[in-house]
Amino acid sequence: MKNYDIVIIGAGSVGLPLSYYLSKKGKKVAVIEKRHSYGRGENKAAIGGIRATHSDPAKIKIGKMSIDIVKGMEKEHGIETDWITGGYLYPVYDEAKEKALKSLLATQKEFGLNIDWIEPKKIKKLVPGITEEGLRGGTYSPQDGSASPLKVAGAFYKLSVEAGTDFIFDEEVISIDTEDDLITGIKTNKEEYQANVYINAAGGNARELGELCGLDLPVYPDSHEAGITEPVKPFFKPMVVDLRSDEQSSNFYYYQNYEGQMVFCVTPEPKIIGKDCDSTSEFLPLAVRRLLAIHPRLKNIRVRKTWRGLYPMTPDGSPIVGWTDNVHNMFLAVGMCGQGFMLGPGLGKIISEMLVDGTNDYDFILKQLSLYRAFEGNELLK
Amino acid sequence: MNRITKHPILDYQERNEVNFKFDGKKYTGFENEMVSSALFANDIKEFSIHKKGNAPQGIFCANGQCSQCTVIIDGSPLKSCITPLHEGMDIRTLKHLPELPATGQEKFDHKTETLKTDVLIIGGGPSGLTSALELAKLDFNIILVEDKDQLGGKLLLQTHKFFGSQEDSYAGMRGFEIGNLLESQIKENKNITVLYESSVVGIYKDKKAGVYKNNGKFSLIEFDGIILSAGAREKSLVFPGNDLPGVYGAGAFQTLVNRDLIKASDKVFIVGSGNVGLIGAYHALQAGIGVVGIVDILDQVSGYKVHSDKIQRMGVPVYLNTTVLAAGGKGKVEKVTVAQVDEKWNPILETAKTYKVDTLLIAAGLSPVDEFYGQAEKFGFNVIKAGDADEIAEASSAMFGGIIAGLQMAQKLGKKIKISKEYYEKSEVLRSKPGEVYPPFEVEIKEHFTPVFQCLQDIPCNPCTTVCPKNCIALDKKLGTIMDVPMYVNDDCIGCGLCVAICPGLAISLVKQVEDTYAEVMLAHEYILDFAPGDLISVTDIDGNILEKAEVLSCRFNKKYKTHLVTVKMSLENAKKAIGIRVQDESVIQPMKETFLDFLPDNGIVCRCERVAVKEIVDFIKEYRVRDVNQLKQIRVGMGACGAKTCSILMPRVFAQAGVDWKDVTPGTIRPLTVEVPMSALVDDKGEK
Repeated sequence: MKNYDIVIIGAGSVGLPLSYYLSKKGKKVAVIEKRHSYGRGENKAAIGGIRATHSDPAKIKIGKMSIDIVKGMEKEHGIETDWITGGYLYPVYDEAKEKALKSLLATQKEFGLNIDWIEPKKIKKLVPGITEEGLRGGTYSPQDGSASPLKVAGAFYKLSVEAGTDFIFDEEVISIDTEDDLITGIKTNKEEYQANVYINAAGGNARELGELCGLDLPVYPDSHEAGITEPVKPFFKPMVVDLRSDEQSSNFYYYQNYEGQMVFCVTPEPKIIGKDCDSTSEFLPLAVRRLLAIHPRLKNIRVRKTWRGLYPMTPDGSPIVGWTDNVHNMFLAVGMCGQGFMLGPGLGKIISEMLVDGTNDYDFILKQLSLYRAFEGNELLK
Repeated sequence: MNRITKHPILDYQERNEVNFKFDGKKYTGFENEMVSSALFANDIKEFSIHKKGNAPQGIFCANGQCSQCTVIIDGSPLKSCITPLHEGMDIRTLKHLPELPATGQEKFDHKTETLKTDVLIIGGGPSGLTSALELAKLDFNIILVEDKDQLGGKLLLQTHKFFGSQEDSYAGMRGFEIGNLLESQIKENKNITVLYESSVVGIYKDKKAGVYKNNGKFSLIEFDGIILSAGAREKSLVFPGNDLPGVYGAGAFQTLVNRDLIKASDKVFIVGSGNVGLIGAYHALQAGIGVVGIVDILDQVSGYKVHSDKIQRMGVPVYLNTTVLAAGGKGKVEKVTVAQVDEKWNPILETAKTYKVDTLLIAAGLSPVDEFYGQAEKFGFNVIKAGDADEIAEASSAMFGGIIAGLQMAQKLGKKIKISKEYYEKSEVLRSKPGEVYPPFEVEIKEHFTPVFQCLQDIPCNPCTTVCPKNCIALDKKLGTIMDVPMYVNDDCIGCGLCVAICPGLAISLVKQVEDTYAEVMLAHEYILDFAPGDLISVTDIDGNILEKAEVLSCRFNKKYKTHLVTVKMSLENAKKAIGIRVQDESVIQPMKETFLDFLPDNGIVCRCERVAVKEIVDFIKEYRVRDVNQLKQIRVGMGACGAKTCSILMPRVFAQAGVDWKDVTPGTIRPLTVEVPMSALVDDKGEK
């Protein structure tokens, strides 16, 4: 039996920063990870975008904090993360999307987001070679950006180890013991652990982990497909999000990373539900069709690799963060809906302040992202 | 021009000359030869400048697998080793990252063609070809995907005679001749469709393979079964200077020299004494390239003894218990330092010697190209591995194994056929590693020609027994297979020399006593004759010691086996031991006066694409507790164009160096695409260009 103040399950996009901030605040923290190493779940499949451009106050707040943290990583800790302040660009080719995006601007600005509608001329300058036919303009948020998910995960792992976190790899939680609405201990395939607080940061496996203590978490992974090209000289900076859909896909987004490679991702439509991440033959033709539809200049670039990753989805497309009514010492940081990488750093900092400092500053986040919300509506910018 | 215009085995063909520019200067090359070869022919061996450390990059695989030979051709970055040369090409050194050319506002049609076949065969080398022919006989439809413009795989690069048996594996024929023969059989077969210059880039769960067809179009292939006969890739080695232009694999060397007839080097040093390294030395000598030496860290030669004997007789030393310490030079290989090692394989610096060479060939072994196999198996497909993709062995074994693979696939697809037990036994023999070594035979010289065998090691080879018109030669019966060594059994030798001509090891001579004092010896010679009857030549024993300067009595050329039969006059005592003719002068193999030890032991490159050195990786493994090769992507290891094909083979050693047991490490994940595919391969152009 090993004792800790806090046990986090999952050494991924969320668990890593969270463990760092908790340890830094003096807590004795263990992170239990069933895989060989950190960041081996969905973090490694993330394409690298970090934005505050969301449509609700909680995610805008968390996103802004994430940007500050990752952007400041090199200055503060001397660790490179390949951060680029490239902005997010949502080019628009139809009236309905123009209306929808413009309608969000007021809320977004109200919550401190630096975002505006820009004209086609400026878009063409930002992304040379972008498809001009039908381009009506778009929203652009210059302070968003991108970083290497692998490097950010590595940075938080290193910082967390230095702050005193115990990382326990190759152990899988197989049972959770409860007594009177409290967890009394958890067992892995190798060891037993006890803590005051247990945090579910298990990403694609959050639902199964919840079931071990009787929680019914509405987190259902589906898979998205991504790809990366050879590197070329940098010629555009923003993450470009194409909200148009076709018969096989809805959103498509891509950017040129720090190394000069195009990284792109497709949201399949209909969704591919489940945890299967094996490649299918449909993806490459689909992704290339989507990419060249918005950026024909990329015709001559060579695709290097493709992969699939999971989006642990909730019914309304927003994460679940907070305490549960059934087991009072279980905290949830789950259902990131494919945004674990961009929400993780901010969320880690916020949760550490809630749990350790007892601040009420973020109650609006807890309320909005509660497990017990209605899960109605659907976030446009998920 | 660095072209091989005279070769003892290969014909030099004049082709259409075209003009091209390289970095603004005018050059000429042959139309449709690979750009890399045209550059080499013009002595241009530096293709790009890596952004990390401004390091010049030379050719490495010459096989379309890595992308070290990328240059800018008419504005686009292209792999020069698979891009044919055309009139007027504007070729430039790739400096750091290429610029993506601006285009117009194009619109594209997207159609992905799907081909259907019973069996998809990946790789048109020896095993792929024989399995295709076998399946075609049984009426299956086959799509054979081959990444070159010619079938035969590595057979085409081999100018030496093959081991094995005449009955089952074309023994005594030269590799390229076998390749051409098999290709003609495939071309005549209506059941077989060959996709040339095509690479399978992914196997997908929905029972389709993605193929980059004719280096221009992405297509899908639906199949019932897959035979994976993609061959092997060469292992690389980590030592300081290992990424200098001029360090490359023996396979790339064979491609340049034997396929493209490029004199790629003046003097080479070879690391590795397996058959690939030994044959590399032989190919170099045939092309007029000096071979300074072969080193192997092991205490015995890894390849066939007859090969190493042959090489040493020709004047190439093989240094055992010796390793390469470093390659050095300004922007290219100019010298290489080697040293002996102790029992723990640590170099003994006092023994170090430096040699002046322009090329260092790595022949450190082969690793199966079998990554699709695991995926296909996981997806539950009918899949069989054949040839080197299954197990590294000689091409003779691959050809026979291909036949069995074809039959096994037929069974998997429901054909009711039986595979004879004898097939499996033969296959087992053909893939055998070299066996026992025997002391030299007692030689009795007679007054008519009789054969003397310097074939003292059990290897799977017997063409001397089947070629003899008088049935004078039989194998020993120790093992009862073609592994046994040959013996002279009936004293009916007529001195025809066919056994001398066919022996792949050049390990048979004919000897006859002429007077009381001297004998005539008939020796095999596979080089351009630079002597004539009446001249004195250096004749050696099996180990390469010069026995005497012997007078040439006659030279006869056996056309079928493309081998000169040279008869010399020698003393009786030496005649018994004579087996080879020295072709390389002693002066070639001398070390430099000063030994060069000015290098950092830890800066050998592991990941060539991203230029990550061994020390950086070892430090990272320790600091970040790495137990998953994929994690090394954090420092870009395996993220480059080759898709971790080169560095993945080195990983067990790198992890060991960091004190991590390979058993505890998750290997790198194989993802599509295994070869980069331009987006243009997925569109049909329409509208403006």
